[in-house]
Amino acid sequence: MSDTTLSSSTAVGLPAFRFSAAETLKHVVLIFGSLIVLLPFYVMVSYSFKSPAEIMQNIGGFFGAQEAFRDDYCIKLGKDVADCMVTPVIYNYTTAFEKAPLIRYLLNGVIVTASIFFIQVLVALPCAYALAKLRFWGREAVFGLVLFCLLIPVHAIALPLYIMLAKVGLTNTYAALIIPWTISVFGIFLMRQFFMTVPDDLIDAARMDGMNEFSIIWNVMLPTAIPALLAFAIFSVVAHWNDYFWPRIVITGDRSLFTPPLGLREFKGDADGDNFGPMMATATIIVAPLIVAFLIAQRRFIEGITLSGMK
Amino acid sequence: MPRSKAHYWFVGPALFLMFVILLLPIGIASIMSFTNYSLGNSGAEFIGLENYEKIFTRSTYEKMFGATFRYVFVVVPLSVGLGLGAALLINSTKRFGDLYKTIYFLPVMAALIAMAIVWEFAFHPTIGIVNSTLERGCGTFLEVWGWYAHGCERGFPLWLTDRDYAIWTVAFIGVWQGFGFNMVLYLAGLTSVPRELYQAAEMDGAKSAWDRFRLVTWPMLGPTTVFVVTISFIRSFQVFDTVEAFYPQGGGPSKSVYVMMFAIYEKAIQQNLMGIGAAITVVFLAFVMFLTLVQRWLVERRVHYT
Repeated sequence: MSDTTLSSSTAVGLPAFRFSAAETLKHVVLIFGSLIVLLPFYVMVSYSFKSPAEIMQNIGGFFGAQEAFRDDYCIKLGKDVADCMVTPVIYNYTTAFEKAPLIRYLLNGVIVTASIFFIQVLVALPCAYALAKLRFWGREAVFGLVLFCLLIPVHAIALPLYIMLAKVGLTNTYAALIIPWTISVFGIFLMRQFFMTVPDDLIDAARMDGMNEFSIIWNVMLPTAIPALLAFAIFSVVAHWNDYFWPRIVITGDRSLFTPPLGLREFKGDADGDNFGPMMATATIIVAPLIVAFLIAQRRFIEGITLSGMK
Repeated sequence: MPRSKAHYWFVGPALFLMFVILLLPIGIASIMSFTNYSLGNSGAEFIGLENYEKIFTRSTYEKMFGATFRYVFVVVPLSVGLGLGAALLINSTKRFGDLYKTIYFLPVMAALIAMAIVWEFAFHPTIGIVNSTLERGCGTFLEVWGWYAHGCERGFPLWLTDRDYAIWTVAFIGVWQGFGFNMVLYLAGLTSVPRELYQAAEMDGAKSAWDRFRLVTWPMLGPTTVFVVTISFIRSFQVFDTVEAFYPQGGGPSKSVYVMMFAIYEKAIQQNLMGIGAAITVVFLAFVMFLTLVQRWLVERRVHYT
């Protein structure tokens, strides 16, 4: 990483171990910022470990004392008090999975994000290839249209899309969650820019070998485009795993179609005071997959999200 | 060159979907915005500009614009400024840069709805960590600050339910969530600033760090800034998750957090007033497309997609 930009001029050329007031000050500011950024993550994970009493009184440090407490709901079911003593962390996480079909929600999330990405690639890749490498009448117009469509934020046209889906009776289906995202003009744009850099000779050679245009796309262009495709995959998955607005609109009744954000929202709706722990556990479970993936492959993630900032 | 008609098959599906999913809805919204259509009714009456008239005259919508613009004009400058600041600081420290970068980027990855729920607890007046932390500062030098002393005496604000604070609190969460994204874009921009320029500037007498920033870094970041500002505008115009999580019944205390995206949702989906919802959609689209076009125009004087 370059360190030229703001390094204080007094520090230039001095041995690295010398105390530098400017350097220290920078770290003080950055650490303070980190604390604020991390605060809700700390609250979320910490509360998912604690008992209701500890949450209410704000005691118990990060992990809580993990002392067993009495589960009133279990008592209500008429079980023995001795059987109803639970450890907070276990209680919170098991309740998260028991109270709502959380596994189902997570599965829905995977189905929806995977289908969206798969279809987006299926549609965008051939189009990008044609725009980059084939010469045909109307190509410029199509590309112009792609550039125009980049202007349209899909969330903003949610209402007419909802009406169209309602008219054909598709609300409360997987299709409703997936269809509006099947076209990614950004994906077309990104892939086209990438394909432009692929030498024509490669494609001509493939044609000489008797490959048809379809197999050129999937056997020649696709492998070369893996880095761009990966970046696009990260963007697509992050956006749709976290999306709340669109599922909120098209999935109104059927719990079995809820995506993770919707499931969490519903949990919040009927949470009373005792449910803070399980709710935080649910939030942790929903947020964790992307965060963990991000921590493992930061560079790729940042690349992917940055590229897709274009959208 | 085309020996086949393959391109029809390649471009066709994408074109079809672009028309049906992106262009047709704009047409539908535009037409519907002149009607009093609601889903389930057989017909709809053409009512001309009535919906638009409502949007630009009624106090509910005045509040909608007020909340939206307040939110946008807090979140955009702060998230751009903090993004730039963080990028410059991280770029200039010798150690732990990657660690800070990772931390600041975490909120971008986390589902906003989940984090909104967590923030709601953090801002809770009695059991929340924010106010309990603030209370710990009571009796120290911080009380010199009038607002703080007042808080110690009378209790700190009910962040999310006080109409004087609600929109700013929601905006704070927006900044918290978004500035890491801008930071990353700025870090990418900074790597493309040639080092020689700094040496040249120094020879020309730019001695202080501020001079170097003003004369080299900032101008070189111009295109990045245009892009970052536009992206931040578009993203903050579309705020919904936090508002719906905090105020499912509509718009927060005294409608002070009644942002446009929520208004569309409430009017059209909850109340089935499709006409007025469509009109807000059209106004909304006009804002966003205008902003993007301005950005295109600013950037395209330098870059061309060839």
